[in-house]
Amino acid sequence: MIEFFQSPVTQTVLSALNQGFIVTLELFFITLIGAIPLGLVIAFGSMNRWAPLARPVRWFLHRRQREPGRFSRWLIALRPVSLITRLLVWIVRGTPLILQIIAIYYVPGLVMDGGTPWPRGEAGRMTAVCVAFIINYAFYFSEIYRGGIQGVPSGQQEAGLVLGMTKRQIFFKVTLLQMVKRIVPPMSNEIITLVKDTSLARAIALQEVIWAAESFMKGNQGISGIWWPLMFTAVYYLAFSAIVTMLLGRLEKRLDYFQV
Amino acid sequence: MKRISKFLALMLSVLMLMSLLAACGSSDDTQDEQPQENEQDDTQEPQDDASQDGEGEAGTESDLAYVQEQGTLYVGITNFAPMDYKEAGSDEWIGFDADMAKAFADSLGVNIEFQEITWDYKVQELDSKTIDCVWNGMTINDEVTAAMAVSEPYCTNYQVLVYPADRASEFEGLTSLEGLYVAVESGSAGEDAAEALGATTVPVQAQSNTLMEVQSGNSDAAVIDVLMAAEMTGEGTSYADLAYSLNLNEAQGLESEYYGVGFRKGSDLVDAFNEFWAKAVEDGTVLEVATTYGLQDAVILE
Amino acid sequence: MPILEVHNIEKHFGKTRVLEDISFSLEQGQALAIIGSSGSGKTTLLRCLNFLERPDVGTISVNGDVIFDASDPSTQKEAEVRRKRLHFGLVFQSFNLFPQYTALRNVTLAKELLAQEQPDFKSRKKEILDQIEKEGQQLLEKMGLADRAGHYPSQLSGGQQQRVAIARALALHPDILCFDEPTSALDPELTGEVLRVIKGLAENHTTMVIVTHEMAFARDVADHVIFMDGGVIVEQGPPSQVIENPQEERTRHFLERYSNG
Repeated sequence: MIEFFQSPVTQTVLSALNQGFIVTLELFFITLIGAIPLGLVIAFGSMNRWAPLARPVRWFLHRRQREPGRFSRWLIALRPVSLITRLLVWIVRGTPLILQIIAIYYVPGLVMDGGTPWPRGEAGRMTAVCVAFIINYAFYFSEIYRGGIQGVPSGQQEAGLVLGMTKRQIFFKVTLLQMVKRIVPPMSNEIITLVKDTSLARAIALQEVIWAAESFMKGNQGISGIWWPLMFTAVYYLAFSAIVTMLLGRLEKRLDYFQV
Repeated sequence: MKRISKFLALMLSVLMLMSLLAACGSSDDTQDEQPQENEQDDTQEPQDDASQDGEGEAGTESDLAYVQEQGTLYVGITNFAPMDYKEAGSDEWIGFDADMAKAFADSLGVNIEFQEITWDYKVQELDSKTIDCVWNGMTINDEVTAAMAVSEPYCTNYQVLVYPADRASEFEGLTSLEGLYVAVESGSAGEDAAEALGATTVPVQAQSNTLMEVQSGNSDAAVIDVLMAAEMTGEGTSYADLAYSLNLNEAQGLESEYYGVGFRKGSDLVDAFNEFWAKAVEDGTVLEVATTYGLQDAVILE
Repeated sequence: MPILEVHNIEKHFGKTRVLEDISFSLEQGQALAIIGSSGSGKTTLLRCLNFLERPDVGTISVNGDVIFDASDPSTQKEAEVRRKRLHFGLVFQSFNLFPQYTALRNVTLAKELLAQEQPDFKSRKKEILDQIEKEGQQLLEKMGLADRAGHYPSQLSGGQQQRVAIARALALHPDILCFDEPTSALDPELTGEVLRVIKGLAENHTTMVIVTHEMAFARDVADHVIFMDGGVIVEQGPPSQVIENPQEERTRHFLERYSNG
């Protein structure tokens, strides 16, 4: 066993896997940092009640002394921000992440004059992959947030209102923590999935840990035809998801002091 | 809250617009054009190369000038010994293609970056300018010439059948591959050859993965480039138990294949390359480098 | 002058008319009980007083000031509604305590947030917060919950939670304290402690509007009773009249059905 870990082949492989896993971790953390707040913005977008046509249509009907028909009722109920956001939720959740990665990296360069807007080289790939992951996960998170926000009973909002709180105060002082408590379990699932989804980044040749492992099947640094590195990546993923699971479990426990 | 929703609405419409553009772009294959003025006219080759496409859509601005302005030539590669690979413990790309690419970048007066790519996306990589050329033992075939500006051939190649050495007697002298499971790289010249000879193909992601297929017994044999077979099978390699022999190009009555370097369609870099290569052949550089990597018989010296 | 005057309130949900021509007034220090079957509009009326619903017609005045006039949009500005709400306190049927805060913090939170808007808050922060906490503690004591200040709502019984909710509403010193069926969500053996607290408030001449199903309680506590049915006030007057000697057929019918269980 010790001999195995001391052999030059193992040393080379492990150092390559370590390098790859650092890329995996970077992608993981950047995605979380970007997607967690962006998801909230999207959640508010999909719950946005702005209905710009309601007033003019009602006014028009009132002037003409007409009852609202089917079309005018549709116009009154039209909420463009919510509509567009939900359309995007559907598109992003309805298409594979791998497709989004490829589209985000290649399509702008194929369409725009002067080529890709991404920086060239490895940094550009990382940036593009991060953007794709942040967008994808933000939309997934937004639906979890939406469920969390709407899951808080309306009585909480009303209790805040009659106590003279502003909507802002109600959100931050009353509903936010209850929402957090509700979303921690589903968010944990998504975050564990994200640990593993990072491997999709190799579609555009981002050199994450799976890519590094596969290179030794093809031949890399004089080592070829060994497949144990690929299997060995499981150790990295398992160890990391164990840490993530533990941290999220702690968070869940810290919120145990109250019940919703 | 209102401000957030306005910002959001704006952001979302930009996204929508982008996806619409993407939809238009895919039905419209026009060559990317360089917006910046070219101020290096005298260092340049004339544009109209007869060997290039007749679509008349070639970029009117110079790709060479673009690369020189960027200061770096991005070379799309895969890990493919003996063309582009790394030695144990080293982070530097070497190999026949890698060394020649470095010399080519020198001749252009630019830096070089090797970029590993997913082989299936080489054309998109070129067209979106995430790389400037594909230089990785690329076999010249119809698909490649349709999508890229390809250099003069610089190396010969043919497809061979790789099989377990202890079953050599079953494979030597075969003229048909019917009834055999043959691993091939998806989209490669080897896949075409194997199909032409009636094999049941098992497409995998890379040529080197085909060897894993045979080694593990999941496929009976593999069809790959002779150069790779020579490098990666037999004694002293990781695939000591594999052997190769059959020249499938001969078996099909076909000519050998050639390797070329791929550039963006309509690019004047291809002329710069051809000129560079002719000089390198003349002054002996090509033979010298080829000899270093055991390719002295395969490289084209005329 | 009455502390509360409601004039000609009308409210529709879509095409359904849930309140029609509701007018009544309430004197300082009096308790008003609103009775009636489910769906009679009494809860909606209470929600109108607290600006949780907007009447389509009518006016609401407190201390002679018109704080809401359906025909005058300038009385309905969001920013002012917030201040106007503070004339009223509301105790909900389902308590609606904030689960993540202790009983004491439930009582003090809103007051702290309001205090932050005072211009001298920064300079006297500690003093103000100490004062608010002390008052909160006293209110809980008054509710018989001195030893429960540090408990979270989930650690309290329903009756205790409702008493915390009453303390929470009282903390802002509303002119008029409203109760929306305060004992309906409680197990029968827990209603007594809540009713006792409300009774105590009435004895201290807290101005109150109580929507309730507890007839005996309404009779004991209220100075004035309104019976509603189908969105209209059928009968109003002192409890001795409305509950013990109803004039209207519908009132009698309701009270009979009620006393029969």
